[in-house]
Amino acid sequence: MKMPAISSACRPVALISLAAVLCAPAARAGEASLTLDGGWHDLTNAANSAKAVFDGVSGGPTGGVALQYGLGESFFVRAGARYFQRNGERVFVAAPGSPVFDLGHSLKVRIIPAYGLIGFRFLQGGSFRPYIGIGGGVTSYNEESDVAGEIFTSTATKPSGQGVIGLDYGRGTVRFGGEVGYSLVPDVIGFGGVSNVYGEDDIGGLTAVVRLSFVR
Amino acid sequence: MKLISRLIVGATLAAGGAFLLHPLQASESIRIASLRTPAEPIAAHRADEVVVQFRNQVEDRDVSRVTRESGADRVRRGRSRGRYLMHLDAGFTVAEALDRLRARPEVEYAEPNAIFRASQVRRVTANDTFFNAQWHLEMVDAPRTWAIQSGDPSVVVAVLDTGIAYEDFGPYRKAPDFGTTVFVQGFDFINNDTHANDDNFHGTHVASVIAESTNNAIGGAGLAFGTALMPVKVLDAEGVGDTFSIAEGIDFAAENQAVKVINMSLGGGGNSSSIANAVTRAVGRGVTVVAAAGNDGEGTVSFPASLANVIAVGAIDGRKQKTPYSNFGSALDVVAPGGDIRRDDTGPGQRPDGRPDGILQQTFDPDTAAERGRYDDFAYFFVVGTSQACPHVAALAALLYRQGITDPSAIQASIQSTAEDLGPAGRDNTFGHGLLRPSVALTGLGLNR
Repeated sequence: MKMPAISSACRPVALISLAAVLCAPAARAGEASLTLDGGWHDLTNAANSAKAVFDGVSGGPTGGVALQYGLGESFFVRAGARYFQRNGERVFVAAPGSPVFDLGHSLKVRIIPAYGLIGFRFLQGGSFRPYIGIGGGVTSYNEESDVAGEIFTSTATKPSGQGVIGLDYGRGTVRFGGEVGYSLVPDVIGFGGVSNVYGEDDIGGLTAVVRLSFVR
Repeated sequence: MKLISRLIVGATLAAGGAFLLHPLQASESIRIASLRTPAEPIAAHRADEVVVQFRNQVEDRDVSRVTRESGADRVRRGRSRGRYLMHLDAGFTVAEALDRLRARPEVEYAEPNAIFRASQVRRVTANDTFFNAQWHLEMVDAPRTWAIQSGDPSVVVAVLDTGIAYEDFGPYRKAPDFGTTVFVQGFDFINNDTHANDDNFHGTHVASVIAESTNNAIGGAGLAFGTALMPVKVLDAEGVGDTFSIAEGIDFAAENQAVKVINMSLGGGGNSSSIANAVTRAVGRGVTVVAAAGNDGEGTVSFPASLANVIAVGAIDGRKQKTPYSNFGSALDVVAPGGDIRRDDTGPGQRPDGRPDGILQQTFDPDTAAERGRYDDFAYFFVVGTSQACPHVAALAALLYRQGITDPSAIQASIQSTAEDLGPAGRDNTFGHGLLRPSVALTGLGLNR
């Protein structure tokens, strides 16, 4: 399988992640957990474009699943994926700042990021454990719209990077938490459509989720 | 000669529907009309009339006094506040009247009542009518356009022209292929009555480009055939009008809230503040104004198409080349099929089909009308000119409004940004932004495509 090339924007993220993993303390038998999360993803980096086709809203609901493994008391690694889909419609906009006119042709956008990250948890031994993390992965983009039976599609899979900050609560088998993250996914859009009008090419942005973890 | 023709418009391309053509059943013949030229030069303005715009606060008694002292024999109030048409007394010239009026503080401006002509060059008639002979609709991909939308009677296009053959009234007859076309009340500013009947042929042909009844098994098709039409007669039987009539016509059309597009296949006469102000008011009311670039073959677009808030339309032939007669220049916005009767490039495979490359739509025989006063000798005629190119764009403007673009400047931007680039890359003075592409404009923009 051909691996996607790592863009220059993601190389520092990838190098830092690799260094963190290599420099992490030797693991004892760590915690493993399965996490389900759900919340909101905002296409912050393409807000104008998203608002144009999504009737003034730049994001939508998202949900995901992840596997996490503790490296000692503080470090952890996580691998996961999320799913984002939003329906909108094709529009016309003449230029940035111009009014947007809905044309009534349905449009669907789907974004699926798959990621790995390494994190650090603070306050060892406590019930509340804030943490930070950084990582990268690949994100799949799919857009489809139907104009009187003619289907217009746009697909891309690009490297992505993200950073997160969160808080977990609990010491038992089931734990709760919340997390805010920011992602970068450049060079996905901007080749046509409203994203070309606004000059926006990045489908990343802010994501806020609540988390439910099952710890073993 | 009675015409019988059967035609079925093709189904959508996306559904893979076949494009069906039934051959003409009745006998047919092709008649070549003679080229008519004016017997004498046409004056630039009326010799005994002046258009005057008074300032807002001027009262009627002051209007009466000022116009009388400036040589008026009688005065006619216009539709717009403060605008009047002065008929001059025998002893006054237009120049003298203008000098006196412009010296008065009550007068905002005064101008000659200039003469405008329909933007049509020549015509060739043919009695055989098929949709596949309307190469101009194929060029702008009408079948695909209709799959998206074909117009709605809630959107009205006002056709400012010689009138339209839209009703049976006195000697006038409704054109046979307007059976399902919706008309709204118009006005005749030449004869000052509510029956804007066509006594020339030009307006009916132009209106048919927009909304000739389609998919009714007769005649030809119109690009926005579901759209309603408003006949506004501002040109006389010779295809001649003037500043006052045209400004009145624009104001009348714009006052109807359902009117979203004005088509003006006319030009010449020079710049006019009255017309420019009327256009500005219309655009301010959300009306998109489209006008023909003119048929002088010159590098300057005719007025009123030259106005910045009017979409100026030039003409191309069946090869997508600029026609010799079409004006061009910096004010040109887009081009549309206007035809060239000297050429035959639009048969299958771009080979000759024995028919001249004119714009084929219904109207009545102008020779019969002019010589015998009969306005019922209907047939399907190939006509060329920027007059014929212009209503293609007016039709698209109506479709775009119905699709959801409700601002005139946005409609203009949509038409320009989706046009097929012709000539040098980017906008140029020969083709403007290029050839209109209705289906692309109606498709709009997704997030990335």
